[in-house]
Amino acid sequence: MTYPELDTLKLERRGPVGWLLNNRPDQLNAMSAHMRDEFEIAWRALDADPEVRVIVHTGEGRAFQTGVDVNEIATDGEGMQRYRDSVENFDFHFTAWHNEVWKPVITAVNGICAGGGFHWIADSDIVIAASDAQFFDPHVSIGQVVSIEAIGLMKRMPVEAVMRMAFVGRHERMSAQRAYELGMISEVVDPPDRLRDAAQALAEKIARNSPSAMAATKRALWGALELGLTDACRAGAQELVSMWGHPDQEEGPRAFAEKRDPQWQPLERGSDG
Amino acid sequence: MPLTYDTLLVERRGVVGWLEFNRTAARNAMNARMMHELEDAWHALDADPEVRVIVNTGAGAAFQTGVDVGQMSRDRDALREQSRRTRDFELRFTAWQNGVAKPVIAAVNGLCAGGGLHFVADADVVIAASDAEFLDPHVSVGQASVYETIALAKKSPMESVLRMAFTGRYERMSAGRAYQLGIVSEVVDPPGRLRAVAVELAERIARRPPGELAAAKRALWNALERTP
Repeated sequence: MTYPELDTLKLERRGPVGWLLNNRPDQLNAMSAHMRDEFEIAWRALDADPEVRVIVHTGEGRAFQTGVDVNEIATDGEGMQRYRDSVENFDFHFTAWHNEVWKPVITAVNGICAGGGFHWIADSDIVIAASDAQFFDPHVSIGQVVSIEAIGLMKRMPVEAVMRMAFVGRHERMSAQRAYELGMISEVVDPPDRLRDAAQALAEKIARNSPSAMAATKRALWGALELGLTDACRAGAQELVSMWGHPDQEEGPRAFAEKRDPQWQPLERGSDG
Repeated sequence: MPLTYDTLLVERRGVVGWLEFNRTAARNAMNARMMHELEDAWHALDADPEVRVIVNTGAGAAFQTGVDVGQMSRDRDALREQSRRTRDFELRFTAWQNGVAKPVIAAVNGLCAGGGLHFVADADVVIAASDAEFLDPHVSVGQASVYETIALAKKSPMESVLRMAFTGRYERMSAGRAYQLGIVSEVVDPPGRLRAVAVELAERIARRPPGELAAAKRALWNALERTP
């Protein structure tokens, strides 16, 4: 499958792993209006590629992502007004979650992750980071409200750490090691230049599992963020039952007994509710 | 209190009620009989006024490794019944599923895999032997991972739960990492001291009045129902 040529992002596939690279290194991968549009194209392209089982998202250069492009906001005459409708309606399309990507998504944080960069941490499944990666949220230091990305983070990690980042702004940075201790990320890669190899290896491990079972699991777990415990379990039952009678459920135990790799069915988009 | 089960060891020592998985040859996997006996045992321990705190652990090398799929597939009636309970979320093998009012400590003595995570997620306090390991192989055999990971994700950082769910049988979480993440609150080393430590902890908890403990437990678990 050929991917669309994009100006601000790079797309490629290595084996079963689809790579999405932020590619505005001179702007520390800050998101321009153009990049924001291209994200939607990128997620949809990787999601639609049947060869891609797992997606890795990282950045070129020394930053992972640093939020919205403040220079563009300050100089293009439109500023944040350009985004008013999408913000008011919470109608975003730049993360995997916004685009309802049900393949596993690994974020590999290669350097600075600041402000809006947290959208891609909050909205991915697994996060790993280079040992020199740093996290901070400068919104309040430039007169902006921190909201959506911090709310997403609070749902998946200790709240105190998120509030501290939100209020201290640009005057303090969280290390990759601290992010690991807090369970915001699950792996610190050292030396930092091994990050992509580590991400590829992790993704290939995950790609050995049933794509359909993982999609059902992902829908159940993300759905659980919207509901209380019992309601989440009841809703999750639909996902559990959706795998009953699926060929992968026969193939998994058979391959295990025969000591071979399972031949999973490709993930069917459209049949996934 | 009926103390004899085929698949469990259930007894009271002092203020502590013990519920121990005992199918060591099957790494304590749940067959139909065990699921049935678990429901009975939780209710018996909860009803015994002498029991103030319940400790749940496993005999042998493993803690609990989920449903014994081989045994279930040979018992069509049990499979049908269990499928119905799974579909309707009417499972009755953990303390939470049985509405146990007393504090429950899970003492993870070894491997905890797949459905075994139910007993970690549904306990109040979890401690583990230093050589205990956690994994969720569901997606490696073509199954979705739902109830146990949902409950775990409500109680601990979600990223680690998603990683466990998606890496399947190709990665294990150590007791040390589970401690860092707050999935367990104590790692016991050497592992042979696990039960002694569980008893000490249980007796410390048992000093509080039963009504107070039950009220606190109810309030905190209810909070998981109200907050998405």
